[in-house]
Amino acid sequence: MEAKERVDDTEEKEVWSWGAGTEGQLGTGKLQDEHIPQLLPILSSLSLLSCGGAHVIALTPGKLVLTWGRGTSGQLGHGNLVNSLEPKPVDLLNNYNITHVSAGWNHSGFVSESGHLYTCGDGSFGQLGLGDYRSQNCPIKVSCFAFRHVEQIACGMRHSLALLKGEHGDQVYGFGSGKRGQLGTSNEKIKSISLPQSVSGLEEVNVSSISANGDHSAALSADGHLYTWGRGFGGTPDVSCPNRVISPFSFTQATLGWNHALVLTDEGEVLMLGGSHHGVHNNPQKENLANQNGVVMTWGWGEHGQLGLGCTSDHTSPQVVRLGENIAHKHMTSKVYCGSGFTFVVRTQRGKRY
Amino acid sequence: MSYDDVEIEDMEWNEELKSFTYPCPCGDLFQITKDELKMGEEIARCPSCSLYITVIYNMEDFSDQKSKTNIEPAKQQPVAVA
Repeated sequence: MEAKERVDDTEEKEVWSWGAGTEGQLGTGKLQDEHIPQLLPILSSLSLLSCGGAHVIALTPGKLVLTWGRGTSGQLGHGNLVNSLEPKPVDLLNNYNITHVSAGWNHSGFVSESGHLYTCGDGSFGQLGLGDYRSQNCPIKVSCFAFRHVEQIACGMRHSLALLKGEHGDQVYGFGSGKRGQLGTSNEKIKSISLPQSVSGLEEVNVSSISANGDHSAALSADGHLYTWGRGFGGTPDVSCPNRVISPFSFTQATLGWNHALVLTDEGEVLMLGGSHHGVHNNPQKENLANQNGVVMTWGWGEHGQLGLGCTSDHTSPQVVRLGENIAHKHMTSKVYCGSGFTFVVRTQRGKRY
Repeated sequence: MSYDDVEIEDMEWNEELKSFTYPCPCGDLFQITKDELKMGEEIARCPSCSLYITVIYNMEDFSDQKSKTNIEPAKQQPVAVA
């Protein structure tokens, strides 16, 4: 999940990573899994992060775009098809003031301050929105949004969602694979589309954020409602148009995993949709939780050490992750970003004076 | 237990691995070869973790097509005569 963040000079940031690392996705410079959190001094000033199948996109406060990890589909945007063990700038985006990014399974999306969308990586399902099914190893502008204002991008396994803002209100667009209904563009079965189409049923909704993962899609409205579409959670039927989740709670944040969704209520409670997939693991996809004091908690699937607890066991209830010697306190906040089998945390510490 | 059921048409042919593949939640790929499919294998495994999926496919689609066509020439559809 991503969020825009104000840069404050009095803040001190730490970036930590752990879990699956054999494609360089942890940014540690090593090709190995890490079962305990690793501090990454080289990445001390990130403002935004997004973790995909095995690659990571980060924004620096100076609006530089850095990528690393698996690059074999061109998803790093470096103009080649190779993995990168260390964060490297995407030079082509240097002058575009990128404000929002998303890493999908093997593709990437970047939104500029002026509202343009750029994509690269695997395009074989049309998920780059460029009107064809080719892959790209450099970011290409999505020309059908050239005269619109894109605000956010969300990249899933084989599809993408874009949130557009403008005088006609908010609009969500979908492109890529639609086999499980994840595009939300039509009630009819769509195999895939390579040009963005408007998601139906959200026309009257003021959308504050979008999310995509696996074959799932979600949108959160400014008034706290969650809409989901695509593959059903926990064996429920697929839904090809946005469906409002009926709940007495108002939601402030939502994020999707491979087979589940996590939502945060305005009362600070975390709820999960789906997640007891096939009963193998109670939560097959690891999920993380950060509370007000910057404490990070993880639970779920742990085979690659992605829970950061020093082991590879699964956990069915939230466990506290130890991030170095520095004990969490009320002047700390942590932001958690989960990829496939790996985790990043950006921990911010404000001045300690009372 | 199988993590998921995936239709063969949703898997991608990977020339390098000489396998049909599908994304695994660990970041690697579930894999199954044509020979395995020919033999009726329906489990695609991930080389990096313990998860596996069940592949939904029609075994006849992967049997040796040459011998099949030799043995069974295409049947002529009867022509309706008014």
